[in-house]
Amino acid sequence: MLIADEFFLIAHNDSRGKAKLHPAATGLGLAGGLLGELLLYGHITVQAGRVTVIDRRPPADALAHTVLDQLIGEPQHQELRTWLSFLAQSATTSVGERLARAGVLRRQESRRLLRTTVSYLPIDLNAVAWPATRLRALLDRPDPPGVPDALLLGLVVAAGLTREVLWSAGPRAHHRLNVLIPALPGPLKELVGHTEAAVGAAVLRGIP
Amino acid sequence: MPPTSTVDRPSNVSEALARGRLGVPSVIFFVLSAAAPLTVVAGVVTTGYGVIGVTGIPLAFLLIAAVLALFSVGYVAMSRRVENAGAFYAYVSRGLGRPAGVGAAWVALIAYNALQVGLYGTIGAAAEPVLDRIFGGHPHWAVVALVAWALVGLLGLLRVDLNGMVLAALLVAEIVVVLVFDLGQLGNPADGQVSFASFSPDNLFVPGLGAVLVLAVLGFVGFESAVVFSEESKDPKRTVPLATYLSVAIIAGLYALSSWTMTVAVGQDQIVAEAGEQSVELIFNLAAAQLGETAVTIGQVLFLTSVLAAMISFHNTTARYTFALGRERVLPAVFGQTSARTGAPRAASVAQSVLGLVVILLYAVNGWEPVVQLFFWVGTTGGFGVLLLIATTSVAVMAYFARSGGGENLWRRAIAPGLATIALFVIIWLAVSNFANLLGVAPDSTLRWALPAAYPVAALLGIGWALLLRSNRPDTYARIGLGAASAAAVTPDAPATVEATR
Repeated sequence: MLIADEFFLIAHNDSRGKAKLHPAATGLGLAGGLLGELLLYGHITVQAGRVTVIDRRPPADALAHTVLDQLIGEPQHQELRTWLSFLAQSATTSVGERLARAGVLRRQESRRLLRTTVSYLPIDLNAVAWPATRLRALLDRPDPPGVPDALLLGLVVAAGLTREVLWSAGPRAHHRLNVLIPALPGPLKELVGHTEAAVGAAVLRGIP
Repeated sequence: MPPTSTVDRPSNVSEALARGRLGVPSVIFFVLSAAAPLTVVAGVVTTGYGVIGVTGIPLAFLLIAAVLALFSVGYVAMSRRVENAGAFYAYVSRGLGRPAGVGAAWVALIAYNALQVGLYGTIGAAAEPVLDRIFGGHPHWAVVALVAWALVGLLGLLRVDLNGMVLAALLVAEIVVVLVFDLGQLGNPADGQVSFASFSPDNLFVPGLGAVLVLAVLGFVGFESAVVFSEESKDPKRTVPLATYLSVAIIAGLYALSSWTMTVAVGQDQIVAEAGEQSVELIFNLAAAQLGETAVTIGQVLFLTSVLAAMISFHNTTARYTFALGRERVLPAVFGQTSARTGAPRAASVAQSVLGLVVILLYAVNGWEPVVQLFFWVGTTGGFGVLLLIATTSVAVMAYFARSGGGENLWRRAIAPGLATIALFVIIWLAVSNFANLLGVAPDSTLRWALPAAYPVAALLGIGWALLLRSNRPDTYARIGLGAASAAAVTPDAPATVEATR
């Protein structure tokens, strides 16, 4: 499963699709996940807070393709923080739609008080709960997780979702999580760091 | 046909990010809603006349406004170059070094907490007439304070920052009420004629001058927060400075006018005695005689909501300060954590609430007087702390631009901050020598030294803590002053490239 998909499911690990994470952090965490997918597949790289496209060939996934096209189309914007903020605006919808297309979630519109809200309901509760369970199990093992899982864990910490994943885990799992992020490869570590900074800035602004 | 290939493509990214950006009016509303005009006019100014006994308060507001406007010149210029621009200690870290920054952070924590906690002293007085009208009861002030405390703590945890529209409506209503009261007072001068004596320097430059100046600074607290919106404003180079200057001007105009009309209605020679006797009820009693009961009721309800809004606002400011320090690991990392569902800085918010509870219980159990001894003493001590922060920041601005002054003209990087610094330190010197007047206690009272001394002690402890961090946790030391951005601080051991494999 793709990084942003798993992040979405962890952030909406609920039988009625209700969010476990506030909207600003959800958007930024998903934006980090989408850029992380492109990083892991070698389409872009990040250095000193700037994003550079290094491989213009289209990725297999349609959403990743769209994001890469956006990055290619506007080379005047290179700041990682700019792209995180931009992608965060639409990430909840776009990743939710991707999961709906994959048959993991079901899109549902509801009208209440003249406002239409879209939520994504789980089709199989186990499938929705799986990513968080998987990450918890990973941290219980002594051998370090692979790079994609380490990145996902990094984004979970950056967005403030640690408790959702580690609610029953022991101190050893917390310790493993703490050493994981500093050991990430440079560009991924920067991505996690900037995501955490953007989430912190949203909290400081006080605008939900 | 025009050559399409050379036409500038509109940027989807810029356009999407520009949506929802704030203009000058929105930023001013944010700033003024923390200033809570009716709290200052009905609470701070009246108590100030009564306790300090100096009639030059209107002129003091104008004087402080001029000094703060000068200070803001360098402050907003530097804000564009500082991470965590909303916090004074970030400027001090960049300008005067990280140890001084942590010292300033400790001072700020005490000052903003004092401002918030002090408000619990006046909520009882603010709620009494309203509760009397609705229930006909007179609950003990501490009961009201505890209810307000629970409300503030809960809203802080749920992160229900009062809705922008609600705040704006309340703010406009408050300002309208203050202006209507002012007109009523002007229309009924005590001696049959309107006197401008309160603006005469003779009534300000008297013993107690320093005390009045601190009181005026207290009224402006919040003006510094416009810079928080640098990144969200339409044009940071224009929006933020303009919003800052306009906020200072609006606050100065409103408070100078209101404190002056009070003296007109009561009489220049009577204001101190009357304010001492009637305290926060003074302007409502005046309005009752001049405008009738309905105006008074509206005013009293708005006074109550104004104090509540100020409490929530200062609670959130303090919690965010603590949160930023937790993110830097200067305070324990737990303060940098948020509640997942609401995004509220949970531990920081709870810590502020615990302090509030301790203070309310302390005053209630000992039977200390709430309006003067909690609201006014603790509040003005907080205002004095903010004055110290502004002065230190002003020095930091000069030091920063002296080292890396590129791009700013001489006025912005040296002359204006220099003049502001001199003025601010003169005010501090006056304030320290007048602290007994500010509190309204005997000159040999221990409080007169104990309250202001909290700040240098806190600053020294902060500097010591920073020096400890430098030798024990250099990683944390390097992040001091960065606030939330410290998470993205580049660590030197990061490898430059990644083999993207999976």
